[in-house]
Amino acid sequence: MDLSTKLDKLLKRVEKPARYIGGETNIIVKEPDDVRLRFAFAFPDMYEIGMSYMGLQILYSIINKDSELSCERVFAPAPDMEALMREENLPLFTLENKTPVRDMDVLGFTLQYEMSYTNILNMLELAGIPMLASERTEDDPLVAAGGPCAFNPEPLADFIDVFFVGDGEEILPVFLKKYAAAKETGITKAEFLKSVAGDDGIYVPSLYEPLYNEDGTVREYRRNCSEAPEKIRRSILEDLEHAEFPTDNIVPLIETVHDRAVVETFRGCTRGCRFCQAGMIYRPVRERSKDTVIRLALDQLAATGHEELSLLSLSTSDYSDFENLATELMKSCEQQNVSLSLPSLRLDTFSFKVLQEIQKYKKSGLTFAPEAGTQRLRDVINKGITEKDIYDAVEQAIELGWKHIKLYFMIGLPTETYEDLDGIAEIARNIVEINKKSGVPGRFNVTVSVSNFVPKPHTPFQWAAQDRTEEFTKKHVYLFEKLKMKGVTFNYHDDIVSTMEAVFARGDRRCSQLLLKAHEAGCSFDGWTEYFDTEKWQKAISESGIDTDFYACRERQFDEVLPWDVIDSSVTKDFLISEAEKASRAETTADCRFGCAGCGINSRVKCEMGGIYE
Amino acid sequence: MNRYVVEFSKDGYIRYTSHLDLLRLFKRAFKKTGVEPDYSHGFNPHPKMSFTQPLSLGYSSKCESIEFDTAGDFTTEEIVRKLSSVMPKGLTITGCFTRDIKAKPLAAEVEAAVYAVHFSTTPYEDKFVKLTSDYLAQPQIIAAKRQKKTKKMADVDIKAKIRGIEALNDHGMLVLRMTLDCGSTSNLSPEQVISSYISFCGLDVKRWDVDVTREKMIFINK
Repeated sequence: MDLSTKLDKLLKRVEKPARYIGGETNIIVKEPDDVRLRFAFAFPDMYEIGMSYMGLQILYSIINKDSELSCERVFAPAPDMEALMREENLPLFTLENKTPVRDMDVLGFTLQYEMSYTNILNMLELAGIPMLASERTEDDPLVAAGGPCAFNPEPLADFIDVFFVGDGEEILPVFLKKYAAAKETGITKAEFLKSVAGDDGIYVPSLYEPLYNEDGTVREYRRNCSEAPEKIRRSILEDLEHAEFPTDNIVPLIETVHDRAVVETFRGCTRGCRFCQAGMIYRPVRERSKDTVIRLALDQLAATGHEELSLLSLSTSDYSDFENLATELMKSCEQQNVSLSLPSLRLDTFSFKVLQEIQKYKKSGLTFAPEAGTQRLRDVINKGITEKDIYDAVEQAIELGWKHIKLYFMIGLPTETYEDLDGIAEIARNIVEINKKSGVPGRFNVTVSVSNFVPKPHTPFQWAAQDRTEEFTKKHVYLFEKLKMKGVTFNYHDDIVSTMEAVFARGDRRCSQLLLKAHEAGCSFDGWTEYFDTEKWQKAISESGIDTDFYACRERQFDEVLPWDVIDSSVTKDFLISEAEKASRAETTADCRFGCAGCGINSRVKCEMGGIYE
Repeated sequence: MNRYVVEFSKDGYIRYTSHLDLLRLFKRAFKKTGVEPDYSHGFNPHPKMSFTQPLSLGYSSKCESIEFDTAGDFTTEEIVRKLSSVMPKGLTITGCFTRDIKAKPLAAEVEAAVYAVHFSTTPYEDKFVKLTSDYLAQPQIIAAKRQKKTKKMADVDIKAKIRGIEALNDHGMLVLRMTLDCGSTSNLSPEQVISSYISFCGLDVKRWDVDVTREKMIFINK
């Protein structure tokens, strides 16, 4: 039985079979023989999650624009489909040509969050590709990975042949073309990887051997050939305005997390929140012009028929011409019966005007992310929002008819005490009070969502200790009691998941053993509450002999060699240290539009926003 | 105001999309091509459009249709051309006709449908002709049906809703061509016929080895 006949029978037996069929509007299907090299873009989670990821649409479009290359997609099959694929021996396949993934030239995983790592191993296994890079042959595809988690690639180093670090839209097609040419000359994968090891954003882990001290910390990364650079410079797309951005996006046949047209307004952020990895690794801020954003938006709406438009960036309101952009987009959207959604607005007078206009009768909740309960702790993490900001905005919102306020906090932040937790409850209580005083009738609700702080590499908190699992649990119980208030809903995350996330966020190469054991124990879809299995993970931890405290709960010294030191984000370590020291003194650093904070990015590329409001 | 009915077929992988998926797909297709249906008024305006008869997920069809009103004037050829240009593989626009704007929805005029049920692992034998007439000759034809309210399976007699079944030989394989009640007055799902037929004949057939195609829709007064 051929693959498509087998697949057809399986599709009758699974939930949401359209996850596996391809055939969407704007899909690009190239004849395998018409191209020099075939790339499989793999998203290690379900179709509905992966198809909501803009990076996939960008790279898919750029690679397929090249007549010599093709990009096909593959997602992690849901557990029901996976079980049948194993039972019926159906190998993991691409959606476009239904080609077994092992027959593709390059298989590239996107690394969006640590808890998707076990899915990568699972997908390799389903594809019939040896999981360990060292066990693969010249007949197997080259296995690559990129995305934010590639900034600490080490826990995956044993499984991946090459990592892409930084912006992918320029380096990925160049890499693929070089590989296409190299393959035709018949050189081995290893030889090829050596030849590109010096390129910006290319990390070939097999060229480095980690050596450890007796206390378990890293002593050094020994390079085993002259081609391997001492540090890998992250690749930076300097000119966003002229960079390719897709307008003929694939439109899924089934509902996905976000079913909408999306345009990226800018990359990077100037706010300098100390816990935020994205705010550090995507520097500097690079904007698209207003006219380009609008043109891309209209073209995309026309090519997709989407009924909703959204903007993508780390902080919507920070776009330098935001008022004009929002005003013009609102007008176009209204004309076309398209709803506009603007995430993460800073709640000033203008934003309220915009929200009033675009939400009208259907007011969704209003969201604030104070992240910490007291001003002291907000200063530690450099989150420049005051309680007055929140209360003023809440007052306005209630006047204008909002009935639901959502608050986001993190717990376990460096220097946190129980006073800071009391502060969280205090803010919720005050908001409920403001509503009572306003006299506006009707049911009113405050949702407090608390996530667990996970220290991330390349941030000022990369040396910090994470709370132990039990400490998180204790704090949740404490908050649960404190937040027993009428009109307040309290949400929080699984504690053990945050611990595992912290292990892989700052793990070294030895953590691949833990991943292997977790995979053997049957862990997958660990980012999903319904699939994360604590017992399986505990079994994997004890079998691998990995001390999770060493990775998650240990405070590092500034002079310790960190597993991700081999990656140069172009923000200097000196800057991160100075920010960490300021944090410990609860000193803030202003948004660098008000004065360069000296992160070092401008010694590499032009930083247009640095000090513009000085 | 104009009312149009667009006819289309559904075949290949696209048949694994649901009724709701198809509704969204047509909404977008209308938006893309500028064939904008008239919108309802109120807080949540939605385009006035409806499928004549929902098709189960997994079924192919040669006879689907969608009915909608537009404020704009289009020729039927224009609509066919425009929609054809944006349909995904497997969805083929086969025709378009206009209807009186005051007419009852087409959906209300459906009374029966013809299905071809392909048994991909059951070779055709002459005995199926006799078995089929024996199946139909039962005083009652009992099939299991999931109850809407309780979600429990219950036995129901489907005999009155079966208009005819023929056993055919298609390239050596068994095909049942069945005409069943369909629509808002009386409706019978081919699933109930398939499962009761399989057990009546004592066939060793898995449901996923059976493919269903809706071949024809039968309307009242036509």
